[in-house]
Amino acid sequence: MSDHSIRFRLNGAVVERVVPAERLLLDLLRSDLGKTGTKDGCSIGVCGLCTVQVDGAPMSACLLLATQIDGAAITTVEGLASADGPSELQEAFIAEGGFQCGICTSGQLVAAAALLEARPDATAAEVSDWMMGNLCRCTGYYGIARAIASARPR
Amino acid sequence: MTGPALFMTPERRLDGTDKISGATKYTGDIEFPGALEAAFVRSPYPHARIRSVDAVRARALPGVRAVITGADVGGARLGRRLQDWPVLCWDEVLFVGDRVAAVAADSRAIAEEAVRLIDVDYEELPALLDMEAALRPDAPALHPESASYRFLEGRGPRPSGPHPNHQGYVSESHGGDVDAAFAGAVRVFEHEFTTPRIHQLALEPHAAVVWIVGDRVHVVSTNKAPFTLRDQMAASLGLEPGRIVVDNGPIGGDFGGKGLSTDEYVLYFLARVTGKPVRAITRMADELTAMNPRHASRIRLRTGVDATGRIVAHESHATFDGGAYAAGKPTPRLMVEGGVQTLEGYRVPASRHEAAVVYTNHVPGGHMRAPGQPQNVFASESHLDIIARELGISPLELRRRNLAHSGDPVTSGGPWHGPDLHALLDRAATEIDADRKRGPGRGVGFAIGVRHVGTGSTTITLRLDRDGRIEVTTGVGEQGGGQHTLIQRIVAATLAVDPARVSVRRLDTDSPKDPGIGGSRVTPVHGGAARAAAEALREKLGGRAIADAAATLLEPIEVSVKYDATAADHGACAHAMEVAVDAETGAVRVLEAVVVVDVGQVINPVGLRGQLEGGFVYGLGMALTEDLAVEHGRIRASNLGDYKLPTIADVPPLRIVHLNDGHGVGPYGARSSGELVNPGVPAVLANAVADASGARVHTLPITAERVWTALQAKN
Repeated sequence: MSDHSIRFRLNGAVVERVVPAERLLLDLLRSDLGKTGTKDGCSIGVCGLCTVQVDGAPMSACLLLATQIDGAAITTVEGLASADGPSELQEAFIAEGGFQCGICTSGQLVAAAALLEARPDATAAEVSDWMMGNLCRCTGYYGIARAIASARPR
Repeated sequence: MTGPALFMTPERRLDGTDKISGATKYTGDIEFPGALEAAFVRSPYPHARIRSVDAVRARALPGVRAVITGADVGGARLGRRLQDWPVLCWDEVLFVGDRVAAVAADSRAIAEEAVRLIDVDYEELPALLDMEAALRPDAPALHPESASYRFLEGRGPRPSGPHPNHQGYVSESHGGDVDAAFAGAVRVFEHEFTTPRIHQLALEPHAAVVWIVGDRVHVVSTNKAPFTLRDQMAASLGLEPGRIVVDNGPIGGDFGGKGLSTDEYVLYFLARVTGKPVRAITRMADELTAMNPRHASRIRLRTGVDATGRIVAHESHATFDGGAYAAGKPTPRLMVEGGVQTLEGYRVPASRHEAAVVYTNHVPGGHMRAPGQPQNVFASESHLDIIARELGISPLELRRRNLAHSGDPVTSGGPWHGPDLHALLDRAATEIDADRKRGPGRGVGFAIGVRHVGTGSTTITLRLDRDGRIEVTTGVGEQGGGQHTLIQRIVAATLAVDPARVSVRRLDTDSPKDPGIGGSRVTPVHGGAARAAAEALREKLGGRAIADAAATLLEPIEVSVKYDATAADHGACAHAMEVAVDAETGAVRVLEAVVVVDVGQVINPVGLRGQLEGGFVYGLGMALTEDLAVEHGRIRASNLGDYKLPTIADVPPLRIVHLNDGHGVGPYGARSSGELVNPGVPAVLANAVADASGARVHTLPITAERVWTALQAKN
């Protein structure tokens, strides 16, 4: 299998790596770069645990090859906070009960942050539509919906 | 904010900051330098003899460090109570997914490649794929050597049933002569219901790492009861329990499934052979097809009523598909206990219950959020609804005539002890506006849910430092329920200190024994222990305020309390739901759901809301979509595309209302909540569908196809 040089931004910082062609973005993040906030759930792009932003769009890292993100800007859960601390959305997940076990939370936050950026005035139905690809087994989703609603810019 | 008033303020979870920042290290996230990765060869047949295993090509693959087979495990069998499941099979495989060999390699990819290179020669055998067939007098015993299996005693002797294919068998009656009671009934009704196996589906798969240093075996596991895993491993592997230490990090969802561990045993042998840490992370396909789902059931109910619709006699025959091994059940009777006492919560003067868990060549059944109970409640509450309609009484009224009052005889044999069920149902009726006329295709259903408050014993230690900070140590983990935050707040409230001054640290199994999470146990047991320990500390300080007392300390002081929660109690809820049924397609839309609960004193308002809302949607999945369907012994849904969980777009408006009769037996009058709501959801939905359309569905899940078929049968 051939090796490939890639260069991309991860949470703002430039990363340069040589990766084998078959390397998944998920494994690059978790194993090579130690960013274990991004989780592996179903491995087939259904559960949303591995959601990352690729140039602002939520995507499943388990379905992307590392070579496909050459030149892109990747945001993971580790990149959602600022120097001042967690974002309003992140804090809202605590206050509104947006998680319990937390295993889906990174993906939920990354997807929701992309939503707030792209469609800050999304209706509840549009939020559901956007977040449908992020499964949660603990909350029944009500807390997640409350958290996103409360973090919307007013 | 101090004292019990603290419970009114929303908690900030102790694990909150780490979980929103991605910093939490779950078992699969921990880096173990030099660790090998494991993968397993699994049976493609529901029942077969292993003729030979050829691993020559796998062993030759670069990066493979060890291949072991059933011949290498010394006859070891695993299990939570009955150890009947071979760690690796050596002579026969008993279900599709049973493990035959294991590989340890430098990477998961290499280990999985090696698995594909192992050739197993099987001789396929006839399979028992039907519960009734497995119980025929001439059915072959699936475990002819069963008498030699280890049974972990402690809470009673090994159970036995009339057929060798019984894993567990219960036959009990309450309230005197049941046949005479039936003879006195004005009308007798009999109905049958079936439910499929469904999966806990924690989104974090099972994961474990095992390594051996000297004579100590180190285990890091997603198991939610690490002390019992240690004891189960010790028994299975022939080791002194003290030689094994089990640690666990935060658990990414449990729902009962994380009570059974299977990989840890194999990893022990791989770690012994390779001298290295060996890790296994279960693939979702293996979770779905090979890890202890909720038992499929067939439940037949018979109930006699008097002229006014009051129940005079009741009997149930419940059969649960236990699959190839009983290993997933921790209960002394090897029974999914929530399935035994049908019509729970109703006044029933005489009842008889027969419940059987049966060996078949299906995936072994395990424990899932209120084991046995959703099957039972679906059958019981549907049965009552049908009876009401047959009698020409409204289902609400029939329930009002039969719900137990305090002290009434109930099907568990004792007098009813728990929340005011009538108050819960009345409130649910009011909230859903039961009397309102609804348009065509719309209807309302009701169901009652009752769940015991857990019991058990644990030890909690408090250490007060000179700076006034209190550190709590406990053997219980955190699987999402907010266990540690609950302990923190009870300690803080009891000692009248700011919860920010109280930290909670989990200890591994080299500490006082803890029963782990499960059985609606944590609030009464761990919460009760937290309160007892805090009271002991206050007493030790002579009743002085913590800050004052701390300032005078020369060195930190510690109190350790072993607490035994024994009081019997129940949580209870009443469900009401409005649905719309499309007569053309049978599609069901939930318009509104109401759950009125009595969980006693609230400790963690945010976490409790999550348990109740999450429990509702957990039940909704069982009601509408979840089905681990089997074809010729093979589970068809091997990925999350085929096994349909509810998404955010599927959840209806939900209103939760709290009542509190003030008699909860947990700390500060709390009751348990985690297993309370999900059991009643399939039942309330089935009843609402019947009210809306006349379609009565006797089988879960309630798909559009089943509703449509029931509508056709009716018309």
